[in-house]
Amino acid sequence: MAASISGYTFSSVCYHSANSNSDHEGFLLGEVRQEETVSISDTQISSAELLQVVEIHNHDPCAQLFSFYDYAGKINEETLNSILKDRRKNVIGWYRFRRNTQQQMSFREQIIHKQLTQLLGVPDLVFLLFSFISTANSSTHALEYVLFRPNSSRYNQRITLTIPNLGNTSQQEYKVSSVPNTSLNYTQVIKEHGAEFFDKDGVMKDIRTIFQVYSALQDKVQAVCGEVEQSERVKEKNQEDVNKLKQQIALRKRKTAEEERMLREAQNADSHSTPEENTEPSEASPLSRITFHTPSAPERPSTSPNPPSYADLLSQDDSLLSSSSPPTSAALLPRPQAVGSPGHPTPSPLGMGLGLGLGLGAGSNPVTTPSTPYLGNGDGSSSDSLDRQAAGQEDDEDDDDDEEDEDEDSSEYENLVSEAAHLPMVSASVLAQGRPAALSPDGDARGSQTT
Amino acid sequence: MSPEVALNRISPELRPLLCSVVRNGRVGLDSTNCLRVTDLKTGCTSLTPGPCCDRFKLHIPYAGETLKWDIIFNAQYPELPPDFIFGEDAEFLPEPTELPHLVQWDAGNPECLLQLVKELIQQYHHYQCQRLRESSRLLFEYDSLLEDPNYGRNMEIYAGRKNSWTGEFSARFLLKLPVDFSNIPVYLLKDTALDPGEDVALLSVSFEDAEATQVFPKLYLSPSIEHALGGSSALHIPAFPSGGCLIDYVPQVCQLLTNKVQYVIQGYHKRREYIAAFLSHFGMGVVEYDAEGFTKLTLLLMWKDFCFLVHVDLPLYFPRDQPTLTFQSVYHFTNSGQLYSQVQKSYPYSPRWDGNEMAKRAKRQLRPELFAFCMAKVNNCCKYLQKM
Repeated sequence: MAASISGYTFSSVCYHSANSNSDHEGFLLGEVRQEETVSISDTQISSAELLQVVEIHNHDPCAQLFSFYDYAGKINEETLNSILKDRRKNVIGWYRFRRNTQQQMSFREQIIHKQLTQLLGVPDLVFLLFSFISTANSSTHALEYVLFRPNSSRYNQRITLTIPNLGNTSQQEYKVSSVPNTSLNYTQVIKEHGAEFFDKDGVMKDIRTIFQVYSALQDKVQAVCGEVEQSERVKEKNQEDVNKLKQQIALRKRKTAEEERMLREAQNADSHSTPEENTEPSEASPLSRITFHTPSAPERPSTSPNPPSYADLLSQDDSLLSSSSPPTSAALLPRPQAVGSPGHPTPSPLGMGLGLGLGLGAGSNPVTTPSTPYLGNGDGSSSDSLDRQAAGQEDDEDDDDDEEDEDEDSSEYENLVSEAAHLPMVSASVLAQGRPAALSPDGDARGSQTT
Repeated sequence: MSPEVALNRISPELRPLLCSVVRNGRVGLDSTNCLRVTDLKTGCTSLTPGPCCDRFKLHIPYAGETLKWDIIFNAQYPELPPDFIFGEDAEFLPEPTELPHLVQWDAGNPECLLQLVKELIQQYHHYQCQRLRESSRLLFEYDSLLEDPNYGRNMEIYAGRKNSWTGEFSARFLLKLPVDFSNIPVYLLKDTALDPGEDVALLSVSFEDAEATQVFPKLYLSPSIEHALGGSSALHIPAFPSGGCLIDYVPQVCQLLTNKVQYVIQGYHKRREYIAAFLSHFGMGVVEYDAEGFTKLTLLLMWKDFCFLVHVDLPLYFPRDQPTLTFQSVYHFTNSGQLYSQVQKSYPYSPRWDGNEMAKRAKRQLRPELFAFCMAKVNNCCKYLQKM
């Protein structure tokens, strides 16, 4: 149980009491309410606490002692009613002031309290005891007050009485008391001047205005959201168009580069016989080709950053191919993919290198040229490598084999490369390992190589 | 605080009420001391000119404890009855209808407050007896004593609070023993100027536990009785028998005390008889004698022109104890400047002789004793002269 009394009521009681030249008593008016606190903690789902709060609004001092009871302490109900009149239903307790006595309920107070509890029908009637202690030389006076709840168990009789804002308010905020002001004058003034601050619903006008501002802001934000969405869509569409155009450009470039290469190859191939194996890889490596050429695949979003880099890569490849200089390892590096995944990078740059030679035979399919892997050598190991490659795509266990095979392939590739074109040895070894490397727009990833 | 100080400080209108309390207030069995008043305070503002005290603490002896009750008046309304705070007995709440002096409070009657306090003590006693119900054993003790008219009416009970650690319940019974002290001669008072109060013997029995396994009895006697019986060491009461009960023990103690008192009374009479007999036998030879207590007698005797004094000292437990005869010379001094004297304790004596018989025998005995005395004296005298 908790109790609170407003500061002005408390001071009024003290004033009345201190000015009386004898003991003083009176009634406390107010209300009792129940507060339920539901708390949820980690240990239990919910616990509800019921707290009874006694609020003292006002007091009604008695004019003299023994005004409603006799010498034996028996209460005269008629006199009591004449004192309380219509305030009887608001009585929640009574108080007594006596100087220089102990903070304990006296004999007569206990008797009166019992009778009041019955007569007023308040089961938890409280009793507020004031005692005024003065030192012998009257230098220090102390006002002590204790709120009793005598009807409860013997050990739980004292209740803390809080007086809001009586204390160090520099540390805490000034609290608005929950104890309402029941003064008539106060209610009248508020009624008169209330219209300036409150609208017809009882809500403060300022609040309503602020709420309106808030609503306007919300609407604006919603509108902006729509616009942003639209612009984003437009941007997306434009991006798509740009990508398409870029691809087309890249295609064209490649075409021209391939044609030139084929011409050159054709010139060179007159002295050499073109291996038939070249055709096989072209058939066998559609997958790898596809994996290599998936920058603009449908599954990929147009807004992905990768595609541009791939487009650059492709253009890079084309530029590399078109130039007689050996392609940089950056262009030859496979896509960064996990070893053993379906999209396991096959030594497609190998094929790319070989594509130089293959391109002659597969001129109708210029796309496949750069990615055509060179598999095996002339002694029929190409089929093995094919199998290996397929195996590598489907089965993880053959990864090691694939790696080794790639090594073998690379070694053979090296041989071929040295015959076919002047490819850097470094790039081959890097390819054999299948390590991804950073792709830069200019295709110069040599610096990023760690081998 | 002395009563006078208290009376000076209290508000004039309340003074008569307090006066009867501090001067004449005797409440309860232990009425050797008056009620005490302390902590006089005022209920008026500090600007009120004094004396205006109207509330105080009253110390009331009860069953071996002292109750400290606050009594609260209002100096501005002296006609109103007081309020009480019963100290630590927070649960004691007497029924106002049982307090007639409260219901019909008459501030004009100086005895009103004292009567009210007495009524409250009575209610308090009932309250304590109620508390005895917590222990069936002690309740039995109480009921059995109550039935006996000798003890039932003069009983105070204090049922102690349960010890919070052990949960023990203790009680103290204070009983007034119905022993007749009226025949004890008045002379046995130590100091007649001070009013010793009523002669009373109180037996206090403390039960330290509810099962009556630790019982401590103690006997309290008013000062005159104690002195009459020969001091506090003279009377030892038996220990409380384990498994016994008060209804058997208390009469036992009572009997013991009665016997002692009887003995003392008898002794007094015997002494009187003795002295009377000596007076009649030695007549003119009596120098002085204790006419009140009959404990001493001095004779001046002459034998063959030889005068000497005989002092007779009668002990308290005469005739059981033999009187002491002291012969004293009127002529000779000892070396230390005292009159030469000789004590005679062992002479034929029997407590069964009456006073007359003792006087006659004493007369006969005095001669041989005398001879011995004289001889001793002469020897001494010679020695003395020789020294000179």
